[in-house]
This record gives sequence, C-alpha cells and structure tokens, in this order.
Amino acid sequence: MGASALWGMPAFAQRAKPLQGTTLNVALFSTAYSKLLRPWIAEFEESTGARVNFDTPGFPVYNQRTDLELSTKGSAYDVVNVTFIYSSRWINSGWLTPLDDFIANRNLTPADFDINDFLAGARAPETGADGKLYGVPWTAEVTLAAASRFDVLRSAGLAFPDTLDDFSRAVQTAHRKERAAGFVTDNHYGWTFPPFLQAFGGDVFRKAPHDLFPTLDTPEAIAAADYFARLLRDFGPDGAVSYTADQSLQSLKSGRSNLGIQGQIYLSQLADKASSKVAATTAWGAVPRGPAGRFPGSAVHGLGIPVGSKNAPAAWQFIAWATSRQITQRAVAAGYGSPTRRSDMQSQVFAERQRVNGYDIAKLSSEAIDLAAKQGHMKYRTVAVYPQIDQQINKAIELIVSGQKSAAAAMQQAQIGALAELKRSGIAV
Amino acid sequence: MQMPPALAPALPAGEAGQHYYLPSRSLAPAPPAAAPGWQRQQRRAYGWGLYPALMVLALITLAPLLTLIVVSLTPLSLTDPAGTFHFRDPLGNYRQLLKDPRFLHSLWVQFQLSSVGVTLQLLMGLGIALLLHGRSPVLGAVRSLFLIPMVLPPIVVALIWKILYTPDISPLHQALEALGWPLRSLIANPDTALWAVVAADTWQWFPFTMLMVLAALQMIPDDPLEAARMDGANRWQLLRFIVFPHIRAVLLVCALFRLIDSFKAFPLLYVLTNGGPGTVTEVTNFYGFIQAFNFSFWGYGSAIALVMLAGVFALSALVSRLGREGGHDAR
Repeated sequence: MGASALWGMPAFAQRAKPLQGTTLNVALFSTAYSKLLRPWIAEFEESTGARVNFDTPGFPVYNQRTDLELSTKGSAYDVVNVTFIYSSRWINSGWLTPLDDFIANRNLTPADFDINDFLAGARAPETGADGKLYGVPWTAEVTLAAASRFDVLRSAGLAFPDTLDDFSRAVQTAHRKERAAGFVTDNHYGWTFPPFLQAFGGDVFRKAPHDLFPTLDTPEAIAAADYFARLLRDFGPDGAVSYTADQSLQSLKSGRSNLGIQGQIYLSQLADKASSKVAATTAWGAVPRGPAGRFPGSAVHGLGIPVGSKNAPAAWQFIAWATSRQITQRAVAAGYGSPTRRSDMQSQVFAERQRVNGYDIAKLSSEAIDLAAKQGHMKYRTVAVYPQIDQQINKAIELIVSGQKSAAAAMQQAQIGALAELKRSGIAV
Repeated sequence: MQMPPALAPALPAGEAGQHYYLPSRSLAPAPPAAAPGWQRQQRRAYGWGLYPALMVLALITLAPLLTLIVVSLTPLSLTDPAGTFHFRDPLGNYRQLLKDPRFLHSLWVQFQLSSVGVTLQLLMGLGIALLLHGRSPVLGAVRSLFLIPMVLPPIVVALIWKILYTPDISPLHQALEALGWPLRSLIANPDTALWAVVAADTWQWFPFTMLMVLAALQMIPDDPLEAARMDGANRWQLLRFIVFPHIRAVLLVCALFRLIDSFKAFPLLYVLTNGGPGTVTEVTNFYGFIQAFNFSFWGYGSAIALVMLAGVFALSALVSRLGREGGHDAR
C-alpha cells in the first residue's frame, strides 16, 4: 500500500507524484503540532511529489509576518495558520480562499475527511460572515488552571480552587512555600486576563460583535484588574510581568511557581515526566468562577489558503493531509493534547493520555470549549479591531502590576486608548 | 608624463587629475570661460556614463523615501487599502502625532536611551581604549576579547541579557543572592527597565568607540608627546592638551554613528521588555513598528518614521557642525 493511500489521499493524489514540481510554502507558528508535523512532511512530499517549505517562527513574529503578507494579497505563502485573534480580520477582508469547494470535491478530498468531525465550536471562528469555511481547525486551546505543587495546598487543607476567593486563598497559601511563587501566568494579558474580567461581570466590549463600545473602565473591570494584578504583583515570581508563555510554563514545570492560568497545550506539559519536576504533584482544574460565572478562554487556530496563492489546489492537498484523520490520530498517539476532531477527543488513546494524577485534562478542555460555545463569551476576541484592544489590555495590566498606575487609572487609560483605536479603525461607537 | 599640447593650457596645475578621474565634476556648473568643444564632449560622455548608476542609486534610495513620504500623507490601513489610500487630510497623521501621548512619551524614552546610552558608550570606549593602548601581545588579546560583543548578532546579545536579567535563571541574580544582596528583576521594574536596556546596549557597542579611538591613538605622532613630557607635562595634561585634540574628531564620528544607530534600537527592546513594563521602554521606532505591523496603520507608521528621519538628520547636522567648530577651535 502506497503512502498516499495510507494517509487517506483522494483518488487524484493517489496517482504517482501528482504534485511533482510544485513547491508549497507553508507557514505556521511554532507549536506542539508543528513540531509533530515537521518530520512527517517528508511522507507527504514522497507520496505527492510536492516540495514543502515549512516555516514555523514564534507566535508574534508569525502573526506580524503573515498579517503583512496577507494584506498585500501576496503569493509568498500557500498555506497559513488562520490565527484566532486575526480570524475575523483576515477572513472578512477577503484575504483567504473559501475551502468549501475543495472540501466538496471528491477528487481533491478523501471521503473519510468528514469536515463535520471537527468540533462545531472550532469551525465557527474559521467561518466567514458569508457562511463559508476559511480554515480547517487543528487546535482548540482553552485556558485552564493548574497547581504544580498541589501537595502543598492539600497539606494546608485546601481543595483545588473553584471560585475567585478560593483561588486567591490558594495563591496566598502557596506563596513562598518550598521556594515557589504563588502564581504565574503568560504576560499576554489580552489572553490570560479576560477569564477574570468576565468572571467579575465585566467584558471587553458591551456586546461583541454587534456593539463594540469598550467596557474596560467599568467597576467590574477595574475590580478584576486589581484582583488579577495583585496576584502577579504580590504572589508572582520576581519579574513576573516579563514572563512569556514559555517562561511561565518553565516556572511551573520546575516548581518555582505553584498556581498558574494558561492554555491547556502548555499546562498539559506539566504531566511530561521527562521534562517536568512536578509531574507527580500537579493538579488541573477549570479557571476560577466569579460572581458572574466561569469564563474559560478558548482559541481556535486553523489552516487556510491565502487568496494570493498560486497553488491553491495543491495547498488544499496539504491541508487535507495535515488535518486528516490519519495524521491527527497519529499526533494524538504521539501526545498531542489539543485535537479538534471529535473522533480524536473521544478516542481511548487520547482519554488515557489526558488522564493524569486522577485529573481528566481532556474532559476539562472539552467542557471549556462547550461552555465557550454555549455562552458565546469569546466573541470579543474575533472582532477585527481586537489586536489593538488586546494591546491596551496588556499595557494596562503591566502598568498596574509594575505599580505605575492604580487599577482605576490604568483601566481608564485603556478605555480611552480603546475608544481612540476604534475611532481610527472607522468603527462607530 | 607629457600632456597633449591642447590640454596643457586648459587645466590649472593640480586639477588635471580631478578633471580626468572625478566625472561628477561634469555635473557641476560650467566654468565662466567656455571650455573647448572636445572637453564639453568628454564631460558629456562622462555624464552619460554616470547617469545609469545615478538612476539606480536614486531608485534604491529616493524611491522608498518618496513612498514613505506619500504614504505618511494618507491614513492608509492595510485592512482597507483601497478605502484608506487618499489625500483628503494630508497632514492628519502629523496632527494626530502631536496629540498622541504615547508617541510623545516614546520621544522622551528615545531621548533618554540615546543620550545616556551613547554617552556611556563613548566614556567606556574612550577609557578602555586609553587603558589598552600599547604594544604588547597581552593587550592585543584583551583588545580582541573586548570586541566580541560588537560582532555578536543583536538577537544573541538580547538573549544573553534576557538570561542575565531573569532572576530565576540568572547567574548574576543568583550570585548576588548568595552574597546576601538579592536583586529584584531589573527589566520588570519601571524605575530600572530602561537603564537595564541601556546597560546591555552599552555592553554591546562601547567596543565600537574603543576600536575607533585605538586606531586614532596609534596615529598620534610621538614627537609632541615626548616634547611635552620633557617640558614636565603630567599624564592628565598630555591627555587634555595633546591626545584629546587628536581624537576629538574620531569621538564625534563615533557619537554620530552611535546616535543614529540608537534610533534603530529594536532587538534588545523586543526581547528584553517588549516596550514595557507599560510603555517605559517604548522608543519611537518600537511604537512605529507596533502601529505599522501590529495594527496595520501604515500611514501613521510612515509619519512616525518620517519624524524619526527628520530627527536623525537634525542630529547629524548638529553633530557635524559641532565637529567643525571643534576642529576650528583645535587649530
């Protein structure tokens, strides 16, 4: 059996080297999935004859580069990651190619591809206002909470924190126990702060996506910012405000910080016995519940085709391969923790891998995705102007944590900045 | 070499070579007296030969600048290029800059970074060059060691300092803690973040001044130094009255180069602080980068770039003028 048949290639692709002479430029940010995919690409090249340039810079660099490339409708890339935060902007500006025709074409897409196997909640952000699909999701990330030294909390008589009060108490209890800071998180606060903002009853906009009046200076938003910044300032590791996602993860993995709020792709790595000192003592749970409820962040990334690509059918071949059942199952078997196919999430392999120390990370993740889909609280994130507002939130939290401004002053400044950004973007508020 | 008879009277002594080898003179205004016809033809020929190169040069240097100027007069945003590329309010971006507190703050941050950073680089470079000036294999080896930071890729320098400034993993922080002098994170503290960046920038670039000053020191003739010593001049007087006048022009060149380069500071800020905490390390080009590449406001980003360009030109002119005046004083 040929490699193409093995990977579920359609009839077209099962001809000998159907893409011979084609070079595909694929861009994805550096992540667990891209690292898994990289060594397998040789098999795609072998079966199709295509040559693949696989570029995986860091997340911010990727976004800047791709945003610029897409905006010029250039042909430098054939396949790109449709980044969650940019999805509305890229899709609704007409910078991506609709995929529906490729999916429906049995010559280009194998029958078992089954787009409906991808979670509906994961497909939604990749769908344009025209109802067409512009990206096939490869990850559905949610924010979770973890306690790397849950043994310390347990010995103090505490359960895994459920509410904001519990969380605050746990962080205070854990701080400076066994040389660990109480709390750490990724300094992309536009991602890690909203679960707290919404739990307090606040939000980024009044009612995204229809009413984009920013609500960053409401009493709830100020209280949330004060609470969140205090966690970092009083109970974070020294220099917490400069901690990137990787640094934050390393701090948790090495036991230098105890509680953390981060994406499950990162937090599930705490279970990796080869690299984590806290694999045996970590506990996982949902982000804390506040007066307004629980609001886990969720973000979906998908693979799409730039409108300027000169190799769209071949690019689709790559996407169909990279998100095929065979590849995603293989990734899950290799430890991939963020699948988007329901069949993968329900598989025995995934369930076993995600059950660690008595905690079911897969269940926590799927519950968070379902909750986000049900409550619709992530709609703030896919409006075209969100990158600017995200930056306002980042700066506001930094100002509070570093003691440059009070929560009220920083959030009022963010509100003014957000209004100015909306005005500049031509959005009437 | 004997000149052709027709050429000899037309060229004043000492200028013949320039006429032959500096074709740019063909672009200069014609001399009052009409030049012989063959000379005009020759100049024209040189001119025609030069035009392609000039055109390429103009295309490479002026076209991007003109594009920048044109774009800065529009509200161009890449999310809607067709709808935002217009000249209805050509000075709108510049008016907005005057009211943009983040931009104005970035100018102040830039001023602090550039002035303190370049001053420290000059002082360190000068001091170490004076210490290492001499003919010995040991001094030569030490000089080579000091040059290493300058030849490292900027991103490597940024990573080195990121490690040094991250308390969890920093040997510097761990050593100080072991000595009983714990040091809080320098890049997360708004009072020290900018100076932490200045320290890293100084470490990378003081060797440039050191190298230039060392070269200048080797050019100083021994005679005046020996004469001054025989007259009883002490080391400070030698430095003040003989060495310093010789290296002053070099120091000015170093200041100019480093000042211009300091406007381009980016990798250190991107890796170490990302402009934060808040905006305390957000220099002007970093802010322009955010506007253009994070938010896609190319018109506004271009206006920021042009303001920076004007600043660099003004500074260059000022430093050059100071250099000329300094040169007159020295004479």
